Amino acid sequence: MDAINGLMHGFGVILTLQNLYLCLLGSLIGTLVGVLPGVGPMAALALLLPVTFTLQPVGGMVMLASIFYGAMYGGSTTSILLNIPGEAASVVTCLDGHKLARQGRAGAALGIAALGSFFAGTLGVIIMTFFAPAIAALAIRFGPPENFGLMVLGLVCTLYMITGSPVKGVLMIALGFLCAAIGLDVVNGRERFTFGSVDLSAGIELLAVVIGLFGVSEVLSNVETMAKSTLVSDKIRGLWPTLDDWRQSWKPMLRGSGLGFVLGLVPGGGPVTASFMSYALERRVSDTPERFGEGAIEGVAGPESANNAAVAGSLIPVLSLGIPGNPVTALLLGALVIHGIQPGPLFVTQRPDLFWGIVASMYVGNVFLLLLNLPLVGLWAQLLRIPYRVLFPVVLLLSVIGTYSANKNVFDLWVMLGFGIAGYVLRKLEYDLAPFVIAFVLAPMLEQSMRQSLAMSADGAMIFFQRPGTALLLAASAVLVALMFRRKRKTEGGMP
Amino acid sequence: MFERALNAFWIALGAAAAAYAWTLGVMGPSGPDSGLFPLIASIIIAGSGVALMLQRSSLAPSPDFPRGAALWRVGGVIAGLALFAIGIPYLGFAITGAITMLILLRTVEQSSWAMSVLLAIASVIAVVWLFGHLLGMPLPRGPWGF
Repeated sequence: MDAINGLMHGFGVILTLQNLYLCLLGSLIGTLVGVLPGVGPMAALALLLPVTFTLQPVGGMVMLASIFYGAMYGGSTTSILLNIPGEAASVVTCLDGHKLARQGRAGAALGIAALGSFFAGTLGVIIMTFFAPAIAALAIRFGPPENFGLMVLGLVCTLYMITGSPVKGVLMIALGFLCAAIGLDVVNGRERFTFGSVDLSAGIELLAVVIGLFGVSEVLSNVETMAKSTLVSDKIRGLWPTLDDWRQSWKPMLRGSGLGFVLGLVPGGGPVTASFMSYALERRVSDTPERFGEGAIEGVAGPESANNAAVAGSLIPVLSLGIPGNPVTALLLGALVIHGIQPGPLFVTQRPDLFWGIVASMYVGNVFLLLLNLPLVGLWAQLLRIPYRVLFPVVLLLSVIGTYSANKNVFDLWVMLGFGIAGYVLRKLEYDLAPFVIAFVLAPMLEQSMRQSLAMSADGAMIFFQRPGTALLLAASAVLVALMFRRKRKTEGGMP
Repeated sequence: MFERALNAFWIALGAAAAAYAWTLGVMGPSGPDSGLFPLIASIIIAGSGVALMLQRSSLAPSPDFPRGAALWRVGGVIAGLALFAIGIPYLGFAITGAITMLILLRTVEQSSWAMSVLLAIASVIAVVWLFGHLLGMPLPRGPWGF
């Protein structure tokens, strides 16, 4: 079955009342969990997985997939309006999106985020439709050394996000690695840094870290001054970006789409990495990098496009090869198995209704999401009408629920509080928190690929230089580091 | 002064973590062992701490820590969240949430009693309804069944 016939077959499957309803419901829930701080797509998928047991596999999978990409749309809203990321892939949108909102340009930022998401999501699905087999075949040729090189490059790119001291950024990355090492060793199951604690043996929960660093610390900063300045009190207007916004955004959207799609394909990539890398890329290629962090529309357009394109990319290895690249797609894979479907290379030919049904639903879902996000953004913006004295305890309640939902473990609440206090203090000392989070996310995969590479090598670390792909990625990382320190030195020396 | 103490803390943390990672084993018979990755991370932390200690330009310009009423408000939020974590296993989400919100509204926001009680109850009911009932999330319950 070629791509066009397959897609037509998929539309035949999806265009039933029940499947359209489930796609709309999933998009709505996805937007909701994306908007609500601390309730990410992972928690939503885990919670709603049992609901799909009563549905046909097509309907169930369509709903779960639409929650995943719907969360990418909705996640930008609270990032822009409240400076609280709805989910991890929208952390980077806070940097410029909220600055734009505080400059009275919330409408433009929200509009660019929604339209960029739609553009990238649709482009990603088109690429997925036509090139899925070839692209997936290329990505799975990556062995552990190439994966290691790619993740090192990703981490180096996070250094470009740092606005202050690069040494502090490096330190935060290393701290992220160290915190991620707490718990059981992924390779041999040995306990590390647990000190006999049962709670620590499961590791530190990502949701608790993210909500603590970005939710609780923000509340602490706000109540310190009791200022309402972090909230955008102006009426949101002009959701359609201006011509100037378009001129500045179309290239970042294209770059973000391409980058996000490729990173979604590769294990260890996914929406979070894609959004961070896209931001770093945009800042790097910009003629005016100093605008980033101060309200650059490109800092919204690129990452928001990247995280949506990454969703389409990350679904390819799962649907065509049965290889999940991130925790959310791993959960989707689990859902397929629960529905009695064997994922793998034969999935496309054995269950074309399901494969092409999911692909077709993503076209439909992207349209639903655009309709839900642009006209209804005013509904989310109503949050701004709520006085801060009401909002901050509610944000804390949502943070507690979001953190608790991950493992149903009170220990995670203490972790959240600890990271909240740490984030509050570190921000005052001009430490960037985003490199910590990205390192924390990437660390398990980075460690695994490093150890696998060294274990399979007869020449120790030389394996990273003997494989052309890895050598190229590591060389690119080294060049980027050198350029960053050179630029920093120039800036400190007052050179242009 | 505070930042210098923090830099010293990074050095101590890095050194302690490196020493612990070393005991986990760095290289085993079948390749890298459990301690290799954390050892590298620890060395970077300690090294960065040393670099920050020596590099005066990386010091933040006089960090503005809260004092007086601001310190009281920040402390109130931290105490509120701590109360949440302590109270949830015994009182459940709804009761702990309402008490915490009431305390936060009274101490941090200094709202009136009536307004605080109203807001606390309304917020908790809305959140429990949305997550507990609409989304079916199993929120922790207290001895009263809610």
